[in-house]
Amino acid sequence: MTAPAPIRQIVIVGGGTAGWMAAAALTRLVPAGIAVTLVESEEIGTVGVGEATIPPIRNFNALLGLDEADFLAATQGTIKLGIEFVNWTRDTHRYVHPFGEFGFDIEGVKFHQIWRKLYEQGRAREIEDYNVCALAMRAGRYQPPVSDPGSILSRMAYAYQFDAGLYARYLRSYAEARGVVRVEGKVAQVPLRAEDGFIEAVVLEGDRRIAGDLFLDCTGFRALLIDQALGAGWESWSHWLQCDRAVAVPSESPGPEITPFTRSTAHRAGWQWRIPLQHRVGNGHVYCSADISDDEARETLLANLDGAPLRDPFILKFEAGRRKRAWHRNCVALGLSSGFLEPLESTSIHLIQSGIHKLMALLPDTGFSPVERDEYNRLTDLQMQQVRDFIILHYHANQRQQGDLWRRMREMAIPETLERKLALFRNRGRFFRYEDELFAESSWIAVLLGQGIVPQGWDPLADGLDDDKLATSLSRLHEMFARAAQAMPRHEDWLARNAPARTPA
Amino acid sequence: MIRRIGIVGGGVAGWMAALALTRALPGVRIDLVETAGPDWSLGPFGPAEASLPDFPWWLADHGVDEGELLRAASQESRGGSFALGTAFSGWAGQEADWFLPFGTIGAPLGTTAFHQLAARLRDGGQQLRIADFSLAAIAAASGRFARPSDDPRSVLSSYGYGLHLDRAGLTATLRAASGLQPVGSFRAFTGDMVTLQDGTSIAADLWLDCSGPAALLAGEDGWESWAEWLPCDRVVASWNPAEGVPPPYGHAGAFEAGWQRTLPLVGGQGGALFYASAHLPEQPGAIPLAQGRRSQAWTGKVVALGAAATLLEPLHGWNLALLQNALARLIDLLPAAPNGPEPAEYNRLTASEADRVRDFAILHYKTNGRTGEPLWDAARAMPVPEPLRHKLDLYASRGRVPLYDEELFEADDWIAVLDGQGIRPRRHDTLADAIPEPALAQHAGRIREVILDAVRSMPHHGATLRAEGLIA
Repeated sequence: MTAPAPIRQIVIVGGGTAGWMAAAALTRLVPAGIAVTLVESEEIGTVGVGEATIPPIRNFNALLGLDEADFLAATQGTIKLGIEFVNWTRDTHRYVHPFGEFGFDIEGVKFHQIWRKLYEQGRAREIEDYNVCALAMRAGRYQPPVSDPGSILSRMAYAYQFDAGLYARYLRSYAEARGVVRVEGKVAQVPLRAEDGFIEAVVLEGDRRIAGDLFLDCTGFRALLIDQALGAGWESWSHWLQCDRAVAVPSESPGPEITPFTRSTAHRAGWQWRIPLQHRVGNGHVYCSADISDDEARETLLANLDGAPLRDPFILKFEAGRRKRAWHRNCVALGLSSGFLEPLESTSIHLIQSGIHKLMALLPDTGFSPVERDEYNRLTDLQMQQVRDFIILHYHANQRQQGDLWRRMREMAIPETLERKLALFRNRGRFFRYEDELFAESSWIAVLLGQGIVPQGWDPLADGLDDDKLATSLSRLHEMFARAAQAMPRHEDWLARNAPARTPA
Repeated sequence: MIRRIGIVGGGVAGWMAALALTRALPGVRIDLVETAGPDWSLGPFGPAEASLPDFPWWLADHGVDEGELLRAASQESRGGSFALGTAFSGWAGQEADWFLPFGTIGAPLGTTAFHQLAARLRDGGQQLRIADFSLAAIAAASGRFARPSDDPRSVLSSYGYGLHLDRAGLTATLRAASGLQPVGSFRAFTGDMVTLQDGTSIAADLWLDCSGPAALLAGEDGWESWAEWLPCDRVVASWNPAEGVPPPYGHAGAFEAGWQRTLPLVGGQGGALFYASAHLPEQPGAIPLAQGRRSQAWTGKVVALGAAATLLEPLHGWNLALLQNALARLIDLLPAAPNGPEPAEYNRLTASEADRVRDFAILHYKTNGRTGEPLWDAARAMPVPEPLRHKLDLYASRGRVPLYDEELFEADDWIAVLDGQGIRPRRHDTLADAIPEPALAQHAGRIREVILDAVRSMPHHGATLRAEGLIA
């Protein structure tokens, strides 16, 4: 038996964040004799607004060999140490989901269990007081982590906030320099092979034809290939995640201070993001159109800016859900064409990155065996579901009085996978992470506790330890962490010194 | 609230549970009730026990000195020994053998996994077996052993080791470390209380059934059979005295009607013959073996542990590891609220873990290369559970092994078995093609060199055993 021929031509359609991230990563295949072409049209705008990310973005950049300072300077980038949630649990309440770990385990007992026990006795501060990223967020400070496990700074993790349009442009020059061919044009037709319905080529306006073995659909919500041409199906999650619109606007930076975190503020019918970049602030109000009108949503957004808007707000429409088959025939959807989850936990770019990573690992040959496709789709579904559950948690566990949306969210039936997690945590603060789960225990704990789900008890192993000693350890930990955070430079000063933004060309 | 836990079974499972619980739950009263007969608490597999590399860590965490344990033989002629993996002979074909090592195999180049690089070299015409790039496999083949290095930069940190132990000696050591004495001998279980031989009754808030396949508390109900995939339904255990230095690995040798396990210790070898009664006349001393697992390991007040929960032929030393993980899970989930979510979660995790180890065992049968023998021909042709089928398909297609929740074995272990059995992926990773062939060959050559140098510097197994006071 002769093996089917290897893939020789990969065609990426769409040049937004997803398209150029894929192109940049696929440059690694060029030396193996694979041609990578990206088709995009300057006439079609991208949905790139201010984008926040999560720590694994650093792996992606490292894989490409990007220089951090250069990347930050090119994308108006800032450092993100976590997310601040305002009014989510109830009005005037706030909590943070910091990156990095809480405290230190003591004698094999998890820190949050020890914390829970002492908190009950009134001998512990809020849990975020034992997280160095949370303390640095509060102080508006930042310093890169160190790898020495003996140092407190090794407990940090961070991600970035940047202008997604500039990031795409930055990756474009990276990819083009390494052999990716960019073709300007709008796709007019997607002819399919008669025998198996595979995509044969994309035909551009003006009849230019680009043939390929494998096509990546990076066309955003339009899903030009995966849906319009191949009809790969959509599973809606709007019964759990009911927000279906966002109104977005950039605004002026309020002052010299640049917060090293993203803020999410709950409103009557949704929530508002605030993502600080070096030169401006990205804002958006995600809302449920059944509960308020577009005008009202726009007014809420504008009334809650901390700087003057820099343009007219624009509206995006969406539906939470996933593509039933993200990989269908010889087409793989990346980014919004593969599914949509609101950016509450900044997962959009990560889902793209993770799709690229899986695709590289499972790159097919021209035989397109269903085995690789099935594995890709299995892993993609698993990840989307896990992120979905994490986002539903924020909505479901609320005590907000205002707004029918929040009542519905509280009362709705949640996915069984999340139900199980909640029951175990409620009982005794237990947590079992699933295979390959994106958000680690510390993330779930931050949000579970922040949303007011306090375990009824704690790990009995914590009872074997001396309470007075624990109380002393905890206050020492807090002091150490607070001192480490205070000793860091202010975030805006660190940026000005290490990665000042270049004026966009 | 859980104030009293009762353990039924005075074998290795019972005493391991007793030690783990006394250390984790100092406020809880633990009563251990002994049972009559041989210790089959992990299965009726003879007087020797083998562990995976996690076990030495477990011992250290529970205050058991490894050297003392190795010396704690029930008879003078049975001392513990070290293991670097398991040798499999006769599985990939009547004459073929291969090695499943403890530890990493090869080293990646950039982000491309070693076995993908090996596949590319193989496609270029080189004959190679990936286990030849494992330090544990090379050291085992040359009869050498020393404990691994703590320095992560050294190649001597790239492997782990398991233990071969005299089970009675292990049990006595665990018992001594727990500081407990048995409260009596089992007579009957009433669903709530255990009655002892002396007539007294014992109550407990939770019962651990560590009585082996007899499952004195958990009973016969709810047993899911794995017989459709694992044909061996009989086992004959033995002890064969032997002089000299034991090899630092276990051996699983397939034959026409099943396989023979050999665990070398100081002073002799623990043997167990596993066979299918349909393919071999009944052997003297044969014990019936109903491989499978309990569908709900935790029901009401009873948690089945060890062979009372899962009975699986020990192709690799996984039975201690399953018990170790079950105890860790149980302790994590105690105390459980009445009708709370804990038992369901325990059962879900325990069942997934057992099923994936089952798949690992089935893999050895499904991919066998013994032709012309009915048992093995049928095993090759049989349909396998869906998660295993998916693993096999994906590996055959491109050398990847998808892992599911609660897998005991890592992708490297699966790949070592698949590679050993002679399963070759149709294609390797395209990323491996992006590396120039000379760089690839140089990388592989360098790994071999570093490993061979390191193994040359290791002491012989006998020297290490002598230094531990295990042999004269």
